[in-house]
Amino acid sequence: MKRLALAALVLSLLTVPALAQDTPRMGGVLKAAMIGEPPSLDLHWTTAVIVQQIMWHVYETLYTYDKNLQPVPMLAESHAVADGGRRYTITLRKNVKFHNGKEMTSADVVPSLQRWGKMSTTGKALWKGVEAVEAKDPYTVVIHLKEPSGSLLFGLGSPNNGAAIHPKESLAAAGEGQLKEFIGTGPYRFVEHKPDRHIKLARFNEYSARSDAPDGGYGGKRVAYFDEILFIPVPDEAVRLAGVETGEYHYAQSIKSDQHDRVKSLPALEPQVVKPYGWITAVPNHKQGVMANKKVRQAFLAALDMEPIMSAAIGNKAFYRLDGALFFPEQAAFHSQAGVSYSQRNPVRAKALLAEAGYKGEPVRWITTKEYDWMYNSALVAKQQMEAAGFVVDLQVLDWATLVQRRNKPELYDIFSTGFTVGADPALATSIQCNWPGWWCNEEKERLVAEMLRETDAKKRKAQIDRVQAIFYDDVGRVKLGDYFTFQVTRKELRGFRPQPFLYFWNAWLAK
Amino acid sequence: MTVYVIRRLIAVIPVMLVVATVSFVLIRLAPGDPASVIAGPYASADDIARMQRALGLDQPLPVQLVKWWGRLAQGDLGDSIFLRRPVVEAIRERLEPTLLLTAWSMLVAVLVGIPVGVISARHHNTVLDQSFMALALLGLSVPNFLLGLLMILCFGVWLGWLPVAGYAALETGLWPNLRSLIMPALALGLVQSALIARITRSSMLDVLREQYILSGRSKGLSERTVIYKHALKNAIIPTLTVIGITFALLVGGAVVIETVFNIPGLGRLIISAVLRRDYPVVQGVVLLIAVTYTAINLLVDLAYLAIDPRIRFR
Repeated sequence: MKRLALAALVLSLLTVPALAQDTPRMGGVLKAAMIGEPPSLDLHWTTAVIVQQIMWHVYETLYTYDKNLQPVPMLAESHAVADGGRRYTITLRKNVKFHNGKEMTSADVVPSLQRWGKMSTTGKALWKGVEAVEAKDPYTVVIHLKEPSGSLLFGLGSPNNGAAIHPKESLAAAGEGQLKEFIGTGPYRFVEHKPDRHIKLARFNEYSARSDAPDGGYGGKRVAYFDEILFIPVPDEAVRLAGVETGEYHYAQSIKSDQHDRVKSLPALEPQVVKPYGWITAVPNHKQGVMANKKVRQAFLAALDMEPIMSAAIGNKAFYRLDGALFFPEQAAFHSQAGVSYSQRNPVRAKALLAEAGYKGEPVRWITTKEYDWMYNSALVAKQQMEAAGFVVDLQVLDWATLVQRRNKPELYDIFSTGFTVGADPALATSIQCNWPGWWCNEEKERLVAEMLRETDAKKRKAQIDRVQAIFYDDVGRVKLGDYFTFQVTRKELRGFRPQPFLYFWNAWLAK
Repeated sequence: MTVYVIRRLIAVIPVMLVVATVSFVLIRLAPGDPASVIAGPYASADDIARMQRALGLDQPLPVQLVKWWGRLAQGDLGDSIFLRRPVVEAIRERLEPTLLLTAWSMLVAVLVGIPVGVISARHHNTVLDQSFMALALLGLSVPNFLLGLLMILCFGVWLGWLPVAGYAALETGLWPNLRSLIMPALALGLVQSALIARITRSSMLDVLREQYILSGRSKGLSERTVIYKHALKNAIIPTLTVIGITFALLVGGAVVIETVFNIPGLGRLIISAVLRRDYPVVQGVVLLIAVTYTAINLLVDLAYLAIDPRIRFR
């Protein structure tokens, strides 16, 4: 292991000089081809990934994540924990300006956190344990908790549906609704949104960057090198790729992995693999119908052979990984194989379990979508494997908007397809929540998740995760099909860009 | 004539009421709702319910329908759920690209379709005629998005003559605007020209068999005069009807072509509105298309009058 680390160090030293010659340059307009339009521009309001990808250039949070996805301060300077972990006193950075020129103080932070705690999915989960948030002085915010929390800083740092800090005037103007103005403290400020044309951001000249160096994750100094960023919705994948090839865009997201070799051969382009990105999942309905029976769920898991499923879903082997753990190997603090019984390839056991369950060929309604082809393709192969084990599967192909609505109605399905993206905090991971579609609620698991929320000791948390993972496989909470990585393409002149689970363009620049 | 036009215009009102109601009901019959789309993939059921209340979508359908009628009577199409602006404004922003795209495509369709039809008829059953008709058959069979993607590959990626996608607004200059519309207009127009060519050809063939053509030729008129002055003028009526229909097909085609070429027009607007269930936008655009289509039909009927003096409306 040590030798490996040494090799990695030598390698990184070898590559650094090449990058160092490349001095960052101010200026230029970055054109990023995105898969579509964001459904909102309000981070508190939505969990849609594309909203975070665009708007967290504009908004910042008190904390963010380092390269190991551990929370580090962003707008916060530091914090102190007292009262047995029940009181967090957060000191804010001074002279941080909003895009409207006003200085950020606790008078903005407190209502922002309160709104986030009331509206966002992550915030609501955390706010159950929050007693009060108060402004002690202009640069100090105190969060009083009902009990200690191991998740608070993770939650405050979450990019997705994140605890963005807004000026209190913006919040007052929004009332109970969505934000009407988009003012943050980020390196880029919002200029305009022309639907189906672009979202334009421009460099915020008075941005007060952190003084610590970028840490390879999302923390540290952020620099806006581009004059402007245009996020352009380009729904057709072939057009995104063609556009980046001809130089109309500098960045294209979500390109099919089978294009990887061709992109690699083109001198103007740089393939970017985001690893890890997420996992492909089949979510059984625990509340109602045939999958409510644990034995049937176990039969479902036993029947599956993940290699052909992932191969059909993703194609290129470099873009998926067969791993059954709840967290990614890259999240070393949480990853383990404890209790994992992934890819069992055991139709005989599945048949026996179905017989025990008294399954009489009731059709298993699996809802999926072609809008994300990996969902449909994985479901299709899994269906064949299930049928070989004696299941009757009714695969229903819906559009995404219908799927996300129907999955909230337990009477309408037995399994649905989805993906879970990287989450930093295990206790807040959607994959193990009970109040999320599929309703995987398990007495011991709920107790462990509640304990995990409180637990601040890393070792104890790890033990809790291992146990939750074992329950996940025994109770078949969801069926993890495998890890997948996404493929993005950039032009060579886009420098300093790092493919990361949470996309960002600060610290990147355009050469020439 | 004036009475006829007024009568036609009055008849439009019930049509619009039906369109307004049907579009309202149909989009709501479709499963899925805007609240779950806004809330995103990791939202819980409570979050979605809260959002439905915030959007006023928790009210009973009849209540929402009556509200929609009420607003419509005042000429208000409501506000978009996703675009944070009134539907009328969203439509106004999208009119330019779609109008220009439709106009250019129509021009391509007519300028290619009619001459090809006439030449084919004139050289009936020759190799020229047959190759034109084979091309037309091909044109009718190739979906416009495929033609569009092939053109992107050829003119955008390989040759680099034209931008692969995107739209340059008129305000950025006539040439950039035209450049951004050449491929989409060709993709859309060429496919339609096939239909126009076939109709023009067959109606020309019918007319060329008429006795007055024979008498024209026998009194020594030049072939040019016979074809273009006497035959074409009479043969053009069915073509005109088809051009009217073509407009509707173009609007339908624009939905696809605008998505392929990334043009921020009405087609893109309605596609994204349908996918995200942006109810007010879908209703507004459907209504607008219905109004336009009705108006085009009226214009086509009036054009008959201008071209063929035998036609009289009462």
